[in-house]
Amino acid sequence: MLEILENNWLLFLVGQYPHGPIGGLAMTLFMAVIALALCFPFAIALALARLSPYRWLRLPATAIVHTVRGLPLIMFIFWTYFVSPLVIGRAVGGVETLVIALVVYEAAYLSEIIRAGIEGLPKGQVEAARSLGLRYWPTTIKVVLPQALHNMLPSMVSQFVSTIKETSLGYVISAHELTFAASQVNNVLLTQPFEVYGILALTYFALCFALSSLARLIERRISSGRGGAPGVIVAA
Amino acid sequence: MGYVFDLRGVLSGQYLDWFLIGVATTLALTCAAWCLAMAMGIVLTLIRMIPLPPLGWLVALYVEYHRNVPLLVQIFVWYFGVPSLLPRPARQWINAHHGEFLLAAIALGLASAAYIAEDIRSGIRSIPKAQYEAARSIGFGYLGAMGYVVLPQAMRIAVPPLINQTLLLFKNTSLAMAIGVGELTYRTREVESYTFKTFEAFAVATAIYLAISFGIMALGAYSGQRLKLEAR
Amino acid sequence: MIRFENVDKWFGTMQALAGVSGEVGRGEVKVLVGPSGSGKSTLIRTVTRLEAIQGGRVLVDDIDIASRKVDINRLRQRVGFVFQAYNLFPHLSAIGNITLGLTKLRGMGKAEARERGLAELARVGLAEKADEMPGQLSGGQRQRVAIARSLAMDPQVMLFDEPTSALDPEMVGEVLVVMKQLAAAGMTMICVTHEMGFAREVADEIWFMERGAVLERGKPTDLIDSLGHPRLQGFLRTVSHGGDIHR
Repeated sequence: MLEILENNWLLFLVGQYPHGPIGGLAMTLFMAVIALALCFPFAIALALARLSPYRWLRLPATAIVHTVRGLPLIMFIFWTYFVSPLVIGRAVGGVETLVIALVVYEAAYLSEIIRAGIEGLPKGQVEAARSLGLRYWPTTIKVVLPQALHNMLPSMVSQFVSTIKETSLGYVISAHELTFAASQVNNVLLTQPFEVYGILALTYFALCFALSSLARLIERRISSGRGGAPGVIVAA
Repeated sequence: MGYVFDLRGVLSGQYLDWFLIGVATTLALTCAAWCLAMAMGIVLTLIRMIPLPPLGWLVALYVEYHRNVPLLVQIFVWYFGVPSLLPRPARQWINAHHGEFLLAAIALGLASAAYIAEDIRSGIRSIPKAQYEAARSIGFGYLGAMGYVVLPQAMRIAVPPLINQTLLLFKNTSLAMAIGVGELTYRTREVESYTFKTFEAFAVATAIYLAISFGIMALGAYSGQRLKLEAR
Repeated sequence: MIRFENVDKWFGTMQALAGVSGEVGRGEVKVLVGPSGSGKSTLIRTVTRLEAIQGGRVLVDDIDIASRKVDINRLRQRVGFVFQAYNLFPHLSAIGNITLGLTKLRGMGKAEARERGLAELARVGLAEKADEMPGQLSGGQRQRVAIARSLAMDPQVMLFDEPTSALDPEMVGEVLVVMKQLAAAGMTMICVTHEMGFAREVADEIWFMERGAVLERGKPTDLIDSLGHPRLQGFLRTVSHGGDIHR
């Protein structure tokens, strides 16, 4: 196992770079960060639309979220793979395809988190802001979103973990990321698949577990700031 | 440019058969993995109830591994990795008996079990301690209080998240295409590459996925309302 | 019947009970009063080991409940406990709450258990509500079902932990009536309550507790009417003025 790592760590880390396109863990992280950053505005818009008092905003937003939740990510990846060259008018690479598909997919899931965060705020917050004479947008931007986003921080870190895990599907369309790099190593070695994929699994585990633990830490910080959880059965 | 959207081409003859086989395989994979996930999820919950710290750590390790490693990678470990550790006759048996389906079901089921165990646990945690105390006050022991009072309530609370897990499991069966299981996504790609009717093929698959997913979601919403328990 | 001998109880660094002693004889009714946090609830919770104690002994029928020979689940069947928050099981109907212990612990048949359960419900005036779920009952009705649930196990002692404190004022009466009937029937009872009228009517003795100790004890007439300890006077004034002292 160590020998495989010794000979291939660079491929795992950055793919074929500098002799080829950048890939591996670097690309995995890059795609996850970009996808989450790009989907953020869409997610907020979707969440606000779903909470809107206007039906013409609420219904389409609800339909989008449910449709995305009802489809496997791989379906989005294939749709993007076929449609985006037609829309953009040129060949679209695997990395771009994956990022576009992830942005659409994650926006729906992130919007649900944001919606829950907004709905979780005490009603008095909005009422207090409106009583001061603030209109919808100042209330939303200055009062509602800052609190909701702060409370949602742990969920967002978890969403980042999900996104990292989902980039592994780039393998299917040959986007040069970590799982693809591992499959290349496996194709070269042929005889040690358990070791190669074991290294792959451990790499993801180390990264995602660290981030999940961070999410839990933040969550404890936030909830202890509000007086902690109610009593629970210890024996369970 | 004159592309004509025409479903007839992909919904007739052998292509229709491929789609049907794909749907059947997807459903079979979902069922097989679901049964394994439920059984394993309950076993994990029971192990966690034994007041012996090392057992608790083992379950935690199990849960964290399956939650922090991409499902596709878990499938690869099972499909490419595990058979290479088995003796030759076992490998041959797997190859001869649709090993990819079996191994995909194992990978999907074990991963889902980790989430199911967590759902059951948070169901238990959401039951107030007073319920447990009230049961003990009548004279029930730990097992009686758990079995007759805490778990029945916890399971009700856990049903909606468990149905949501079922939805995720159903969607995740699509990943099995990466190891050649002939489920819906895999068959769709086949139809697409034989007919070159890309949009039609994927439109059909999308519609099928959505129909089944919406059915599961509706079940979840219904159960959420049916099983709600009011004040104590 | 029940004897406390120098009972000490700590929650971390906070002493909840400080050397409490006292005795409750068969058929007696003791009422525990005192400000919130004075240890009344903790004291009765020690009787069924809902709270473990760090010093002294609690004896039921001259047997130390902490001893290894005591089957705590047996003991709990003989000592009924009624909670402030009722703690009915929300997934079971009123009758289901009562028959659960009868069928699973006493091994009674379903029909027999139901008959017994209906009799207990009739005793608290709720026979017609047998098949309703707890969520459909009012607070007073829920508390009466909870009392019936305890009575079904044929307890020799009943412990009440502020049974009327969570109730709307108009429902307090119906629960107190049931408790008075129990007392009149000769049940041994320890009641934590702020209902001084109830105490005056049925208590053989009132224990006034503060900071984990019994400060004063005596017959209701002596204690309430002659107003002994100045702290007790202050307390009684708060209660009679309807001050919400337990929150």
